[in-house]
Amino acid sequence: MSTLAQQIVNGLVLGALIGLIALGYTMLYGIVQLINFAHGEVFMVGAFGAHFVSLRLLPADTPWYTALPVMCVTAVAVSVAVAVAVERLAYRPLRGAHKLAPLITALGVSILLQEVVRVFYPGATAPLAFPRAFPDGHLVLGPVTVLWTGVLALAVAPLLAAALHLYVERSRLGRAMRATAQDPETARLMGIDPDRVILATFVLGAALAGVGAVLYGIHYTQIDTAIGFQNGIFAFTAAVLGGIGSIRGAMLGALSIGLVKSLAGQYAWGGAQYDYVWVFALLILVLMFRPQGFLGRPERVRA
Amino acid sequence: MTSSFVRDRPVTEAPSRREPRPAWRSAPGAALVLLGALSPWASAVIPGGAYPGLATLQFFDAPYLVTGFRLHLLLLGLAALLPRASRAAGAGAAVIALVHIAFLAALGVLSFGGPVTLAGGALLIWLGRREPAPEWKLPSRALAWPILVAAFAALLWAVSAMLTAGGQSRATNPHGGAEFLSFLGFAVGLFGILSAYGVLSWLSALAERHRAFSLTVLLACAMLLPLTEAGTGYWMTVASTIGIYAATAIGLNIVVGLAGLLDLGYVAFLGIGAFTAANLAHVVSFPVAALAGAVVAGLLGVVVGAPTLRVRGDYLAIVTLAFGEIFFRAAQNDIGGLTGGANSIPGIPPITLFGQGFDQPVGGLPAGFLYYALTVLLVAGTMAVLANLKHSRTGRAWLAIREDEDVARAMGVRTGRAKILAFLVGATLAGLAGAVFAHKLGTVGYESFDFSESVTLLAAVILGGMGTVPGALVGASLLFVLPEKLREFSDYRLMLFGLALILIMRFRPKGLVSS
Repeated sequence: MSTLAQQIVNGLVLGALIGLIALGYTMLYGIVQLINFAHGEVFMVGAFGAHFVSLRLLPADTPWYTALPVMCVTAVAVSVAVAVAVERLAYRPLRGAHKLAPLITALGVSILLQEVVRVFYPGATAPLAFPRAFPDGHLVLGPVTVLWTGVLALAVAPLLAAALHLYVERSRLGRAMRATAQDPETARLMGIDPDRVILATFVLGAALAGVGAVLYGIHYTQIDTAIGFQNGIFAFTAAVLGGIGSIRGAMLGALSIGLVKSLAGQYAWGGAQYDYVWVFALLILVLMFRPQGFLGRPERVRA
Repeated sequence: MTSSFVRDRPVTEAPSRREPRPAWRSAPGAALVLLGALSPWASAVIPGGAYPGLATLQFFDAPYLVTGFRLHLLLLGLAALLPRASRAAGAGAAVIALVHIAFLAALGVLSFGGPVTLAGGALLIWLGRREPAPEWKLPSRALAWPILVAAFAALLWAVSAMLTAGGQSRATNPHGGAEFLSFLGFAVGLFGILSAYGVLSWLSALAERHRAFSLTVLLACAMLLPLTEAGTGYWMTVASTIGIYAATAIGLNIVVGLAGLLDLGYVAFLGIGAFTAANLAHVVSFPVAALAGAVVAGLLGVVVGAPTLRVRGDYLAIVTLAFGEIFFRAAQNDIGGLTGGANSIPGIPPITLFGQGFDQPVGGLPAGFLYYALTVLLVAGTMAVLANLKHSRTGRAWLAIREDEDVARAMGVRTGRAKILAFLVGATLAGLAGAVFAHKLGTVGYESFDFSESVTLLAAVILGGMGTVPGALVGASLLFVLPEKLREFSDYRLMLFGLALILIMRFRPKGLVSS
């Protein structure tokens, strides 16, 4: 019983972190129908940015309440810069090209970013220890123990998702984003600049991924160049599961993915070595039988 | 509307746009390239001997002995004097110069010939004429056949020279990587010149007209490769590895190029074929094992293809990616004791036929020739399958689905059946290639089938040209020769792949050989 509760909490923490990446996927796919493989890499680059600033620029005795915000700001800045550069240089020239072109480009960007970090970031050929920028120790709730970093992730991720939801629902730019997602042509006729909306989507998604990267790093205490791709695929699965385009759905989907991975690793056939397989199997089943996800609407065929 | 454009010209003068630029404009650039070819290239003796081989001043004692990239530059410089050839020759010279400047700079040596040649090449590109290639009439059959034989013989020479350029390894030739890239630059210039004069399109039209004859000659030429400079055991092994990947890429070309179904887990089928053959290797003979590999892979292809009935476009790509990952994880964990896990499956016996082991030399031919011949047949077979399917009823259905699935369905194409068929055929071909792969390597491990291999195959298809018959062969040859040649850059291999994917999509989305 205590194992079950513990695995549920572990799964929820992972889910919350994946959720921060999934938000970027869901917004972007909702607006431009692009599976941005590179979004996972934007997350990974943010983690390395935070790693760099903490180990190379901050004095070793910086207290965590200074270090953590600085790392978050750096990660967000690095992630946003990379995402904007990718959008401008790789995706924007392809708008209106053949359907497969942006997807293949996204794949190329993903590989390029991974390899650039692996080759040029000192020591990145092996997993790197992430600085502990949060109090050690854990919260004990009956049979369950949660690291404080896990508590932080569980608190921050839904909060950010809610803030994003409010922003998209209430702000002027949010309205423009929803309009573009619904009908890009009409939105353009109404005076909305799609380039600006798409860029804003990239920026918002990257900022959330940057925050997620720092939370991920301090919780799992280790980063490598593969975290982006793997968690990116999970996040995309989560976004689909929740219903692409839906912010609440993405968070919900991510929490489910976290639960599946951690529970399947504990209880399903094959154990922890096969936990990824169960997530991928879930992905296939969802895509086949409920591609609109939990909260999405069935996709209408564009004439 | 054009009045402002021509205002300051006399009305009687004809528009000068069509007037050819005088031929002498390419003279200064060509002169610079020739000067560069004859100049000293390295300011110091670098490790591994004088660079390039013949010290420059010796050239005047024995000009006919000039070899390597300086010979290529001399040829390109002379060719640049031909009016249409100057741009292509300039581009080739510039690439050669850039490669050697970079190589020498990395060794900390300054180059004099390099910048001169680079300037000449840039001048040629800048001032050269850009005109549509002329069209030539096709000759009669009596002339056509010798011409085709000569052309394929030249192609054979080019392939052999490309394969062996730069030598086997860094140990035997420290300048190998640079020499290979430089040869690639020469090849680019050469093919550019031929294309500028319309020779390439003329030859391909000729080959198309005498199709059966060309295919026979092409196959014969491929079998003659062991008689060229590339006829050593090492190059045979390299060539047959390339052949296996080329056959796999051609199979992928059916799925992606013809039917437009993006498959991101395709290498799994190569793996399934390889693991099936590896498990059966000690039980049955190779043809049976190969058949089993193809059948098992084909059946799993149908399983993977089944979601295509419900899932489209991007979602399908993700489903195939997920299948690929599931296969990889399962193989990694030695599922059912079938894949050997981290230990891989060792000790797969080589193919034997009539008591002749395929890894042994036969007659006067180098060891590995039999594997090479087998992969040539494999590639020829898959190419024949692709070419025939492309022009069949099924192939037209695939093309229709690729262009617009809804319209295809409305026109009466049974889209579900056609899509599953594409997966079935593609997976079967990959399974067959996998069986050869297992026997040739003698050991099969899960690492050979990870996501980056799928991406490489996809890149080969896209680079070559989606849906074209020779495209996948060209793409696979390039993508699998380059890492073999540029071992010192192996760290950057994937990075360059990523960059290449982005750049191809941006500048040449139809690939090198467009349909």
